[in-house]
Amino acid sequence: MAERGASRRPEHLAAVPDSGAPPPADAGELLREVARGDEKAFGRLYDLVAPRVYGLIRRVLRDPAQAEEVAQEALVEVWRSAARFDPARGSATSWIFTIAHRRAVDRVRSEQAASERTIRAGVASVDTPYDAVADEVSGRLERQQVRRCLEDLTELQRQAVTLAYYQGHSYPRVAELLGTPLPTVKTRMRDGLIRLRDCMGTGVSA
Amino acid sequence: MTTEIHTLVGAYVLDAVDDIERASFERHLRECDSCRLEVDEFRETTAQMAHDTWSVPPPWLRDNVMSEISRTRQAPPVIPEAPAAPPVRGVSRRRWLVSAAAVVVAAAGAGSAVYVVQDQRVRDQRQIAEAARVDQARVRQILAAPDVVLNEQPVSSGGRVTVASSRLHNAGVVLLAADAAPAGRVYQLWTIRGGGDPVNAGVLADGQSADVVVVEGLPGASDVAVSLEPPGGSAQPTSTPVADVKLT
Ligand SMILES: [Zn+2]
Repeated sequence: MAERGASRRPEHLAAVPDSGAPPPADAGELLREVARGDEKAFGRLYDLVAPRVYGLIRRVLRDPAQAEEVAQEALVEVWRSAARFDPARGSATSWIFTIAHRRAVDRVRSEQAASERTIRAGVASVDTPYDAVADEVSGRLERQQVRRCLEDLTELQRQAVTLAYYQGHSYPRVAELLGTPLPTVKTRMRDGLIRLRDCMGTGVSA
Repeated sequence: MTTEIHTLVGAYVLDAVDDIERASFERHLRECDSCRLEVDEFRETTAQMAHDTWSVPPPWLRDNVMSEISRTRQAPPVIPEAPAAPPVRGVSRRRWLVSAAAVVVAAAGAGSAVYVVQDQRVRDQRQIAEAARVDQARVRQILAAPDVVLNEQPVSSGGRVTVASSRLHNAGVVLLAADAAPAGRVYQLWTIRGGGDPVNAGVLADGQSADVVVVEGLPGASDVAVSLEPPGGSAQPTSTPVADVKLT
């Protein structure tokens, strides 16, 4: 793969203006350009965030075909509402993942609504956050950090946070799955996130 | 307001709340600095969790996305102020619709007392507040009905419309949570019964994309549809509906 890349764009052509790989991009900067209707900037933003947008949606939906569809919706939504991103409220990547996650959850809920009655709640349907998507290669350090921080949570905090975030369950559903009262689940979600935030360091941006 | 609602912040950021709770919490965010700060911080935290899910998308996804954005119009930066008054047609209905908008918060069931939405379209706050109290009870009544039937449909331009209908109360609640309408268009709700012409069930304001509307007599209808119309709405749909919920 590396060989193919190299043969496509030989070393001595690397300096030709505007021809090859752009310099490392900052998502916030790109998003500002996208907000002005710059499709090229959007292409670069795509390259930067699409694996995570797609990966996140796939993690929640589990089905690659559906994930593809929803990822497309989410990325087009990023294009459409780029001008509404407010950098004062946080990083561009977190804004983008918020859109992606919301879309994935909407889809998973409408699927669930369609087949709710046939689903039996039980321990068997509770997954660890690491089981599903095992075929990727990048972001090892970040993953390790996320995992380490997740393992730092209490069991209930970890389950509450990951069942909601990685599997798209509502908190009443999480309460049902864990056999825990609703107020407890709400509280565990919040204090779980507080602990994760402190572990990962606040305001980290990509 | 009770302190109860603050505790929803974690579930909110994790998208573990329903549409009504979300609307309610977003109202709360406007007046609660500490929750707003926490939301912003938690979003950075969950973004880190998203890094953990990195996965190579199929190569054609890029082409599909790029070609779709090239024909997708971008939304304006700020939600435009709503015009001062809607067109003359259906003034009383309009008032009723606005009061129903207030209900989205009031009905949120976060255990809090009624609080009234600050709505720029609303002139007569006191009257609306009264109406909201009445409608809140009505919404709760319908949603709590033993025979309530829920139907849900995606909106083709993004988002969802949910219809809760009760024969017992001979009424329904329509909950629209859509993406922003394209510039120069607003959402309009319709009911259709017995193959007749669609009947207006409410026009949203310019820039408004979420609403809760009580429709009396809804169980007789066959469809609830949503279309994009010029500001102020139309007498009949002028475009293909973006959602058509069949009531079974
Ligand atoms: Zn608060």
